[in-house]
Amino acid sequence: MDPHERSHANRRLAWLAGIILLWAFAIFGNLIHLQVIRHEAYLRLARNQQQRVVEIPAPRGSIFDRNGQPLAMSVPMASISVNPQHLPDLDVAADILSRILEIDRIALYGRLRNARDTGRGFLSVKRRIPPEQAESLRSLRLEWIQFNQESQRHYPNGTLAANVIGSVDHEEHGNNGLEAALDDELAGHAGTAHMLTDVKRRGIDSRLATEPHVGSAITLSIDSRVQFVAEKELARAVQEHSAKTGSLVAMNPNTGEILAMASYPTYDPNKPPAPGEPVQARFNNSVSVPFEPGSVFKVITLAAALETTDLRPESLINCGRGAITLFGRTVHEASNHGYGTIPMSLVLAKSSNVGAIQIGMRVGQERMYEYLRKFGFGRRTGIPLPAESPGMVRRLSVWGKTSLGSVSMGHEVGTTALQLARACAVMANGGLLVKPRILLKRDGVPVPPDPPERVIRPETAIAMRQMMEGVVVNPAGTGRRARLNGYTSGGKTGSAQIFDFATKRYTATYNGSFIGFAPVTNPAIVIAVTVNGTRGTRGFGGVSAAPVFKLVAEEALRVLDIPKDLPEELPENERKDQKAQPEEANDLPVAGLGEAPVLEETPQGTGNGAEVVTAAVQTGPKVPNFQGMTMRAVLAEASQMGLPVLVDGSGLARVQQPPPGAVLQSGERVRVRFAR
Amino acid sequence: MATLATFLRRFEAQAAPQKERRPALRVEQDPYRLRAIPNSDVYFFCKKIDNTRLVREADPRARKDCWTTIGAACAVVVLLTTILMPAVAGTMAGYRIQELRAEEQRLIDERRVLELEEARLLSPARLQQLAEGQRFVTPAPGQVIHLNPRGDGSLALNVK
Repeated sequence: MDPHERSHANRRLAWLAGIILLWAFAIFGNLIHLQVIRHEAYLRLARNQQQRVVEIPAPRGSIFDRNGQPLAMSVPMASISVNPQHLPDLDVAADILSRILEIDRIALYGRLRNARDTGRGFLSVKRRIPPEQAESLRSLRLEWIQFNQESQRHYPNGTLAANVIGSVDHEEHGNNGLEAALDDELAGHAGTAHMLTDVKRRGIDSRLATEPHVGSAITLSIDSRVQFVAEKELARAVQEHSAKTGSLVAMNPNTGEILAMASYPTYDPNKPPAPGEPVQARFNNSVSVPFEPGSVFKVITLAAALETTDLRPESLINCGRGAITLFGRTVHEASNHGYGTIPMSLVLAKSSNVGAIQIGMRVGQERMYEYLRKFGFGRRTGIPLPAESPGMVRRLSVWGKTSLGSVSMGHEVGTTALQLARACAVMANGGLLVKPRILLKRDGVPVPPDPPERVIRPETAIAMRQMMEGVVVNPAGTGRRARLNGYTSGGKTGSAQIFDFATKRYTATYNGSFIGFAPVTNPAIVIAVTVNGTRGTRGFGGVSAAPVFKLVAEEALRVLDIPKDLPEELPENERKDQKAQPEEANDLPVAGLGEAPVLEETPQGTGNGAEVVTAAVQTGPKVPNFQGMTMRAVLAEASQMGLPVLVDGSGLARVQQPPPGAVLQSGERVRVRFAR
Repeated sequence: MATLATFLRRFEAQAAPQKERRPALRVEQDPYRLRAIPNSDVYFFCKKIDNTRLVREADPRARKDCWTTIGAACAVVVLLTTILMPAVAGTMAGYRIQELRAEEQRLIDERRVLELEEARLLSPARLQQLAEGQRFVTPAPGQVIHLNPRGDGSLALNVK
């Protein structure tokens, strides 16, 4: 090769090599830029592309009643959003979304257009859509529709126990009732996981980033069946008596478990508060709204008297012919009754104001105040419900001259229905003040009950039970309408005039109330009912509240499988049929029950092909004559014959009921009164 | 556009006159004649050749090399498969696990929805409404008979 030509070739080669070297340097430099200088940024981009953070749902804890029936539960719901900048066609998107989500197409199009024009990258189309709508949208497989999972609280029973359970706001934070009080326990905290995805966003692997915490499941002591009846009957009573509000508490006196807690008016927690909705609808009147209890408070006065004085149920009390004057203030009996000197038990049965004041005077201010506090008045019960009122018991130092008289008949004090129920439970359970319980279990683990406090002696409680039974059983008692069918019951009515703080006067409206328990021997339920704002004598507790007690107690005892301790009262027509039969028929071992039920059919039956067996009711044994016997002998004989006996007094048996020779019906007891 | 061969030949054609260094003789050309298209003198034609009587000479070495190559390729494939198999299986299992997790979550959600639906259906208010629709009434006193069990459990005491 010519040297000149060679030098040309060498120059060209040198240029080529230089270019290639530069190219290599450029590549190498870019590699350093990508792999070292921008390492973190590109790593982040790669992770954003290959990984996504997925939320591990942790729903809010459910609330169940004592039988496991859900009262509140959260269900995952899909929410729909779009990126307006990535929408292929606004018209098509608005058409599809408005048709499936059932929203206004023009309004949606306007929102989409506005969001796109303003450069927004996110637009929430509709939150918490029904599952069928979500499924319809998913089936379209459109990339521009984004599904976000949210949770929605549902109350499947609607208004049932709404005032107890409460409600949540749009972010599922409790804003009322147990939902608010137990918000920390109920609230779930969603976890997160990093998921490695492929190009089609399908998950390949995932790594837990934060642990999810599911909200605790809470089991309440509420029985939804009892609660339903309580709410229904309370609402009916309030409406019938043109009252304003009402409250009811049903409690197991031995454990303090709340079986039902009803308030009227109520609301549907599934719906947000409507404009103009009365605020009272969201109050839990049973624990938040105190009222003057009136005559039901005489139970406390008499219990204090039995504990602190020598007064007994049969002790005679001078009721002053219907009026008593205390330091210039004259107190009359309700409805201008004029009672003379009557036993203490009748003071309760007839609800004598004068008698209660006389008994209260015997107790004295200090001891009365002490027993008010012992029975739990003037302090919160500690039930985990928000806005619990302690009620009102004024300090002893500010009591006036007539305060003792007022307190003795249930005025100048404020109590909640829950406090009244708890006080009544003291009589029912033998003298123990129990702490009301509404939480039975947390995540299936039983919540231990608090130990009760002894308030009164057992014999005082038994005496009070017998006197309270008289209120219901005695034909002159004020609580006749609280008599149960098939069960013994005791209680006390109350009718307190409502004080108007504006005019400083008592109005013509009443708080009609009733506290009671059943059965008397071994009470299984205590119920306190108040109907606030009734008018006239029809609004008295014996008329407005006692029937509610009867209906709720009968249903609750049936639901709780409490055996009946009295024969059932047959309907009027069947009673006439029985009266028409000769007396000897009572001795027959089998009593006609009308059409006998078919219990089972035997395949080998002859004749009709099926053997019909009849049900029969056995009559009990005849009651022996206990008169003149000692208590020990009476108990021994009764025990031998298997007769339930209720003894009273001391000495020798003087009076017995039923009389000797009578047939003791199933569930009936023999009452024997002893005297020296 | 010139082909690569034409392009290279053009360099050779340029190099050849430089080698001879002849004086440039400018041939007068007919100015009205078109310039020849490159390679316009190449003609493609088919010539039939009968190879059927040809027999490939046995080449044991080539055959050995061929089999060696095939074996090596197979070995590489097996090796790669063995190395990559766990990773692929792991990825496939990952897909399956994620699918199953999503399915589990879906079923849990579905169960919650069904539980809610059941609770709605069993709500006391609805049952009351249904009962009223069916004209059910609370049993009157005396209509409910409680059967006390006999000792041996055969029949109730108050059943004949």
